[in-house]
Amino acid sequence: MVEVAAAFVAWLGVSLVVLSDARRGLALGTLLAAAGLAGVALPEAGPAGALALVAGGAVAAARRFTAGPGGWGILPPGSTPRLILCVAGGLLALWVGLEVMTGEGAALRFAVMSGVGLAGARALSSADTSVAQTAFAVLALAVAAGAALGADAGVWPFLAGAGAAVAVTWAPGRVQRAA
Amino acid sequence: MLPESIELLALAAFALAIALVFMPDRSPRRRLALQGGAGLAGTAAVAAVPTFDLALLVLVLLAVFQAALEGRRPTAACLKAPGVAVALLALAAVFARVGGPELIHRFAAVGLGAGLAAALGLLPYLHVFDPEEPVTASPIGWLAFVGPVLAAVIVAGAQGLLPADAGAAFGAVLIGLGVVNMAWGSLAAWLTESNGAAWRYSFVADWGLALCGFGLTLADGRRAALLVLFTVVLGRLPLYLASRQAGKDRVVTERPVNLLVAAALAGSAPFAGFAARVLLLRGATQLFWPLALVLALVMLLWLPGSLRLGRSMGLPRGRQALGVALVLALNVAAGLYPLPLLAGARL
Repeated sequence: MVEVAAAFVAWLGVSLVVLSDARRGLALGTLLAAAGLAGVALPEAGPAGALALVAGGAVAAARRFTAGPGGWGILPPGSTPRLILCVAGGLLALWVGLEVMTGEGAALRFAVMSGVGLAGARALSSADTSVAQTAFAVLALAVAAGAALGADAGVWPFLAGAGAAVAVTWAPGRVQRAA
Repeated sequence: MLPESIELLALAAFALAIALVFMPDRSPRRRLALQGGAGLAGTAAVAAVPTFDLALLVLVLLAVFQAALEGRRPTAACLKAPGVAVALLALAAVFARVGGPELIHRFAAVGLGAGLAAALGLLPYLHVFDPEEPVTASPIGWLAFVGPVLAAVIVAGAQGLLPADAGAAFGAVLIGLGVVNMAWGSLAAWLTESNGAAWRYSFVADWGLALCGFGLTLADGRRAALLVLFTVVLGRLPLYLASRQAGKDRVVTERPVNLLVAAALAGSAPFAGFAARVLLLRGATQLFWPLALVLALVMLLWLPGSLRLGRSMGLPRGRQALGVALVLALNVAAGLYPLPLLAGARL
């Protein structure tokens, strides 16, 4: 039951990142996604791995909370396609993770597939630096959580995912050179 | 670390050294050394980490590092294709690791092939390209510097992740992508208006050859892929760097050196590209002879684009001329006697 709730929280967090254009919404989405992914990865990753994911997500969220366009920016005008993406992507991940794939860890599969898919789509569709960096941070956390599906992942992928999420959000934006 | 990756990494380091030593005096050497060195370290990390997931996370860091460099594309534009690549590769890894119908593993094979193409900036995921952008911040960095090692790591990772049937599907995906990139890249290198864009498309065409080599799943295919990547890293990349100066000065010449460069770029004998093409055709004949016929026909498309690129080199002078001569000599040596190169990668 805890895993199911964690998977839902992970999907909700990534959806917030997809649906938000401003720093508060992006920060909250990052935090929720990290907490949810840590929850579903906990049985395989162990406390250390899960803690690393939460810590990485929290630091990335804190950074996003202090930089980027102000406000919540959730569901701005014209975001209906993004809302449809979140719902349809979540349903597709749920169907594939539960019905098509077999074996233990359905919640983890759902959370990782929806996290990777939606964060990747957000990175592809964004034109704003802070949004793209946040999507990349969540993508790194989801990739790290996906390592729990492999045999004997150890703690390193989770530490690396957390480190990547932090590095991504703290990286400076590009200085554009004129022609 | 895979022997193939070590060798490709060494080639990338050598290419960086050539660029630093033989670039014109007025070029920003220090910046290239720092950024190229950091890119090389990141590439080494991709090859050195023990698991596929860690390699993907290093790829994330490399993409963010490049997006932070001074350039002409906005950060978000730089992150698009690597984001898609990481997402596709991560989804493919999930599909490859779980139980389910055989179709799931075939989807994993498609995801790995598509993710590789997106990471490198090949069709159907060509990165946004600006010919005026510094090389380290441009898609050429992915195509010619990070790409070869990354491809070796992803192909090896795919072999570890996928069962045998899906492995064959992965090979078929690579061959399909390879043929499309060969045809599109060589035609675009010939017909596109800008010389800078023509160079980029020529890298894409070469990568088509390499993907076909990887996809053949025969020893000859892997050997061909390695030789193609040699020509990309220690042939096309240094020649592209040399041509950028001529491009700035808008110089186009038709001298013997331009013809030699065109021959090297077209993969004619005795350059390394020729040996790669012979191995590729031999491997394709062993696997399915009509494929060899298609490959041979598409290979003919290299010629007009290479003649154009050769002319765009201008007339190299001073230390740059020495660099071009060294690159051509290395390509002749590898073409005439590729055995040490192949033995170094245990192929």
